[in-house]
Amino acid sequence: MSTTNPFYLIVIGAAAWLVYAAHRRPGPQLRSFRIFIWFGAIAMAARTALVLLNPVLHIAITTSSVVVALLEGARIAVLLCVFGTFNSVSDPYDLLRLSPRRLYEPVLAAGLALSLAPRTIATVAEVREAQRVRGANAARWRALPALVVPVLETGMEEAVALAESMDARGHGRGRRTSYRVSSWDLGSGTMVIASLLVLGTIAWSAATGRGDLSVAMSPLQWPGVSPVLVTASAAIAIPAFLPGREEGR
Amino acid sequence: MTDAVTFERVTFAYPGAGDAVLSDVSFEVPEGSFVLVAGATGAGKSTLLRAMNGLVPHFSGGRFRGVVRVGGTDTRAVAPRELSHEVAFVPQDPGASFVVDRVEDELAYAMENLAFDRNRMRRRIEETLDLLDLAHLRDRSVRTISGGERQRVAIAAALTPGPRLLLLDEPTSQLDPQGAENVLAALQRLVHDLGMTVLIAEHRLERVAGFVDLALGIAAGNVTTGSPQDVLERVGLGPPVARLGRLLEWKPLPLTVRDARRHAADSPPDLSPPTKRHRSFRGGELMAARLLRAGYGPKVVLHGIDLEIARGESVVLVGRNGAGKTTLLRCMAGLHPPLSGRVLFETEPPRPGTDVALCPQRPESVLFRETVQEEITTTLEWKQRTGDPAELIAYFGLPAAILQVHPRDLSAGQRQLIAIAAVAATGARVLALDEPSRGLDAESKRHLVSFLERYVSDDRAVIVATHDVELAALIAHRVVMLAGGEIVAQGSPEGVLGDSPVFAPQTARVFGPRWLTPDQVAEAVAR
Repeated sequence: MSTTNPFYLIVIGAAAWLVYAAHRRPGPQLRSFRIFIWFGAIAMAARTALVLLNPVLHIAITTSSVVVALLEGARIAVLLCVFGTFNSVSDPYDLLRLSPRRLYEPVLAAGLALSLAPRTIATVAEVREAQRVRGANAARWRALPALVVPVLETGMEEAVALAESMDARGHGRGRRTSYRVSSWDLGSGTMVIASLLVLGTIAWSAATGRGDLSVAMSPLQWPGVSPVLVTASAAIAIPAFLPGREEGR
Repeated sequence: MTDAVTFERVTFAYPGAGDAVLSDVSFEVPEGSFVLVAGATGAGKSTLLRAMNGLVPHFSGGRFRGVVRVGGTDTRAVAPRELSHEVAFVPQDPGASFVVDRVEDELAYAMENLAFDRNRMRRRIEETLDLLDLAHLRDRSVRTISGGERQRVAIAAALTPGPRLLLLDEPTSQLDPQGAENVLAALQRLVHDLGMTVLIAEHRLERVAGFVDLALGIAAGNVTTGSPQDVLERVGLGPPVARLGRLLEWKPLPLTVRDARRHAADSPPDLSPPTKRHRSFRGGELMAARLLRAGYGPKVVLHGIDLEIARGESVVLVGRNGAGKTTLLRCMAGLHPPLSGRVLFETEPPRPGTDVALCPQRPESVLFRETVQEEITTTLEWKQRTGDPAELIAYFGLPAAILQVHPRDLSAGQRQLIAIAAVAATGARVLALDEPSRGLDAESKRHLVSFLERYVSDDRAVIVATHDVELAALIAHRVVMLAGGEIVAQGSPEGVLGDSPVFAPQTARVFGPRWLTPDQVAEAVAR
């Protein structure tokens, strides 16, 4: 994601949303997508707000500095949106299973980290409710520890319980087998080729400077749009049109 | 016969704790036994189980002396994972033990680690899904199934690798009576047919006493072994029928309804008619649900509930797992918006935490302060009330010393009581409790019951959702039975619970539907 070109950003954001809409799974993951969108919006607002502080440092606010801030904020927002989509449509355990055995440990860590967001969100909802029915309606900032402390403590306890459970159930004993066979079907092939093409196109564009990945600032002007890059960005939406995996055994 | 587990002079204390949980403990458990681990709340049952697969001391730290052998292996010499082909452990909170997302994969996880080949995995998974009646859940996520279902999935996931020793920490706490019966019967079959050794820590002795053939009793750091009768006698615990047996001097002490009925038939006690607790609350309506429909997303859980709660009344909701008890409580507390119909407290929608306070199933989501004392004073400050935390916890039979303890250092049962105390400190007119007897021994349960009696005596009301029929029999003025999101029966506990084949408390099964609790029998004997 090295582009600040608003056209590409819009296409990528829309593609991510399409994938989310096609493959979302029930449960806390649903909420996790919305929360990442919020984070994105906040990041964008914060990046723009920084520019408004410029007069404090005796720097004039120019149109181009505001536009730069907006576009950079949008870039972060779209990035979070893509991450949120990944988070809400993927099962961390699928990652673990599909990855080569040599990468088991690092992928396990990544998988657990991925599952952290939905878990924490579920705990936050539960704790907020529990404190509300216990009468926590005082000034909000004063009730904050009532939310944060149990969430952190529960998170810690769950992490320890998970580590214990994994050890007690033989994790890391050595050779392991896999219950599900994950065969390469047409869908996964298409996806891998598409992602390689997208990466390649963007890398080519960044290297050659064609396709206006970033917006020219002085003077400020509308960036050009290359049909190749729009197609590449739109290709991110391909998974939305593939059927969900029917698990093979 | 060889021994599945041996303890040789084991002493253990948690890091930073002065008192040892186990002091100089020696015993052995023969292979192929079904063992009850009994002890009061906080006596160390969980610790004892965790010492059997090496989680104590490998994960807990602390001072550990002596030797624990499982299938001949010293648990301290190897990591818990090296014992995983031999021992399986199901912790108190099954949700915390799940590693993967899909039920079927969760069942495969331990076998994958043990490098089972695929055909063997498939066969074992199918067998276990059938054994615990989980086949319909195989593709569900472990995060979206109900508490009772999670408990069964956790047990199934422990069983698939075919352990020789299975350790279960309160495995039926979230199961309805029939569900618990099915799980225990399945385990008994594994013990009888395959010679597996099962150890089960449980407070709801009325559920397990009929299945086990050996018991370990823990009290004050000491462990005794023997027949369930002897051990329960020594640690002063027992199911309600055992209390009846003590009252009526039946020997040998009955542990099952069947034994108690034989005693009652052989020597019928001379009992005056029972005192009725059922009172009429007509006219004193405090809150009500009218034609309440509620659900989550497209799933409708409650279908047109009409329920009134009167001043001074204790209402108990019973029903199988997934009947809608928790959702109804959440609606009554004003937490969950109805799809249609309404919930009224007096004439307005209830204000959560003011009109109705609710203690959820997981006490951990309530507790957040450094000490028990602060936990209670926080609620009092929020509600601008005055009160003495020491007095409040004394109602629950807890010593004042506990006020300075960190809530998370308490046992599951004590945490539960503290969470209830912290919620009750709101002084709300209606106190709602979701499955409050988890982790509570008979003594703590009695304290909870007398606290709730005090609470309603002040024209307030209590709503309790529970699978614990003995608790329901102790506190209910009225029992409401839910099934499939509808009220299928409501009325006096004698009428609703008394003659139910699933929900009748033990005393009713022995003496008939008019008798609900051993206390009533004690009164009748005294008169």
